[in-house]
Amino acid sequence: MILAPTTVTELVEALAGAHARGEKVTAVQLRSLNRVLEHTPEDMTVTVEAGITLAVLQGLLARQGQWLPIDPPAAERATIEEILATDASGPRRFGYGTIRENLIGIRVALADGRVIKAGGKVVKNVAGFDLCKLFVGSRGGLGVIVEATFKLRPLPEAEQFVQARCESVEKAGQMVEALLGSDLVPVVLDLHNVSTFNGRSATNYFVVLGCAGSREEVDWQLAKARMLGLMEPSNLEHEAAFWSEATPDKPRRLSVLPSKITSALGKLGEVPFVARAGNGVIYYRGGPEPPQPDLPAALTQRVKDAYDPKHILPELPLR
Amino acid sequence: MPAPVTATRTPRWVEELHSILGQDAVIASPEELLVYECDAYTLEKFLPAIVVLPQTTEQVVAIVKCCATHQIPFIPRGAGTSLSGAVLAVGGGVMIALTRMNKILSVDIRNRRALIEAGCVNAWITNAVKAHGLFYAPDPSSQPACTIGGNVATNSGGPHTLKYGVTTNHVLGFEMVLPDGEVVWLGTTPDGGEDVDGYDLRGAVIGSEGMFGIVTRVLVRLIRAPQAYKTMLGVFESVDDASQTVSDIIATGIVPGALEMMDQLITQAVEAAYHFGFPLDAGAVLIVELDGLAAGLERQAERVIEICKKNRAREVRLAKTDDERALLWKCRKRAFGAIGRLSPNFLTQDGVVPRSKLPEIMQFIRATSQKYGLRIPNVFHAGDGNIHPLVLYDERDPDQIRRAVAAGNDILEKCIEMGGSVTGEHGIGVEKIDFMEKQFTKDDLDAMRALRRVFDPESRCNPHKMFPGSKRCSDFTPRKQIAA
Repeated sequence: MILAPTTVTELVEALAGAHARGEKVTAVQLRSLNRVLEHTPEDMTVTVEAGITLAVLQGLLARQGQWLPIDPPAAERATIEEILATDASGPRRFGYGTIRENLIGIRVALADGRVIKAGGKVVKNVAGFDLCKLFVGSRGGLGVIVEATFKLRPLPEAEQFVQARCESVEKAGQMVEALLGSDLVPVVLDLHNVSTFNGRSATNYFVVLGCAGSREEVDWQLAKARMLGLMEPSNLEHEAAFWSEATPDKPRRLSVLPSKITSALGKLGEVPFVARAGNGVIYYRGGPEPPQPDLPAALTQRVKDAYDPKHILPELPLR
Repeated sequence: MPAPVTATRTPRWVEELHSILGQDAVIASPEELLVYECDAYTLEKFLPAIVVLPQTTEQVVAIVKCCATHQIPFIPRGAGTSLSGAVLAVGGGVMIALTRMNKILSVDIRNRRALIEAGCVNAWITNAVKAHGLFYAPDPSSQPACTIGGNVATNSGGPHTLKYGVTTNHVLGFEMVLPDGEVVWLGTTPDGGEDVDGYDLRGAVIGSEGMFGIVTRVLVRLIRAPQAYKTMLGVFESVDDASQTVSDIIATGIVPGALEMMDQLITQAVEAAYHFGFPLDAGAVLIVELDGLAAGLERQAERVIEICKKNRAREVRLAKTDDERALLWKCRKRAFGAIGRLSPNFLTQDGVVPRSKLPEIMQFIRATSQKYGLRIPNVFHAGDGNIHPLVLYDERDPDQIRRAVAAGNDILEKCIEMGGSVTGEHGIGVEKIDFMEKQFTKDDLDAMRALRRVFDPESRCNPHKMFPGSKRCSDFTPRKQIAA
């Protein structure tokens, strides 16, 4: 059963009904719940209904010179609920962290229709358990997030990208090492081959560096980056290109110790990829399956049973 | 669950603990146990039946299994610096003190991670890595004493959380012994990737106040130390002016590394003790610390000084050297130590309000002070709205104790009313159990209880904390306060 409620009350009644009947809810579509409930620029916090898209939210925040510091793909379509449920992230995670770092409060409709809240509206809060964290990345399997409160950041005065073109993954890896060992504090450090991947192999590998902050900070960093070999102006088009590709190969994710990224890429073979080089996260299409995760199975099952005893909500996907 | 356990003859489980640990890692004599009768929340005291000091995860497992077999509650303890009574042995039981598991096991400079035993002191982590230009960001004021395991239990903060976040943003993963003795690793492993599939159990355990199990080893994230600092100290006519300054700084798009405020009473005490040259009639002192690339700091600092002056700052001191910077911070870090000049006893509160409501809560605190006839100085993290009103009282006067507790409660209720929280850093522990039903609904609390049952179905791991309906073994009878 797919739910598409127009109000939280509708959702709650539908869930309670499904729970009573033991009927599976395969998906919940929340796009009608899309209001900004509260934006307090002087507190740098915002509370939204979870069906709002990221692009709409960022547009509203930008009018006050603020943003929610996350940049997952497809911002025009992705709702806050989807981003939270999948813990989606983008290139700027290197500088700003992921959505988990910015979520301070949440309201969730549980499988039996009860609505609970966790966290609150303030940026410092340790009252009660941190259930906010539990729901991020839970794929909607522990409850449906209907409302979320975030802490925000001011939009940087300036943001600029530069890149270097390398002939091999190893050379690109060495450039990444040099950048990490320098005084630079980039917000983006990507390694990709998307621009030159022709369906069978890539001819070049790119290191994309993004710097943000005051004009002086950005200029100072770009001057340093130039000395390290990053001279071509750049952007994040590789990111959009990778995610929008129309191919039967679904994107895969590999997360490794950052220092092992070059060898991990070597083992993938000739595949198109975008890597968060500073974080050790590689997105690729085709190639070998990523290894099965080693989850604490008993605990995972008990958490699921505690919040969705009849298992009407989605299960965690196996990667 | 058994009644408070006292060892009048040697029970089986005591013998088992001795054989697991050996003589010098078991504390059972009444005089020695007194050291463990309370934490930094000194208003209530409970004696554990026994205290054990394991040195390895294997020993912790054996202790926990022994407790499980004999159905005895146990209390994890780091340095006992909790300000909310989270480490009180309410109901007796086995206190498992991790102070002997205090090693830094490995440091990975390249990947900016370190693997630490849970009993390691917070400050030692930065000390071990600062030569490499790295540091461990969450720095609660107790960091020369508190342990990383305790930080994980409390989700500790400190003065730098506005820009850098709290413990949960800097702990990648950890090893934990569950109350049935099973050992699990939650989150990122020492050689593993940042992104971990499955539910964020790591995140759910952080801040669970030691009620889910015992964390034994912690993988922390290290970050680049800032290239440069600009530390300023503004002297203001009033808390309102200083609060407005905070709001204006943030509205301008500047995110300082730290923003700390001290009001007149504290400033007077600090001046009397340390002679920093503060005017005794100054309403408030505000420390603003900017950090980051040197290239960006000049203009930001000018802007901050402009904002201070716009809000009628009498003077703005700017540190020009590391020593001057240390001096500016000294007056904040020594503030608690100066309170002894003002009063023999004090209650430390820990409320949070939305930052923009700081002037309002400060006014309420002044009114509360008048209502109860008690002085309430304030020192706090102005950038994130986390207040620390210090309710002064003399324990020799029972009526003052009653009024002090009432004043503290009034302030916390006001924080909830203003959309804030009753605790920003110190946790609920025992102290604020009665506030849980004011801040959360029954359904909210049930969802938390459900999570607790997942980890600790028998409620033997740090019982009688946080949840309303917890057994309180004695009426509130305050004892002599341990000097801060």
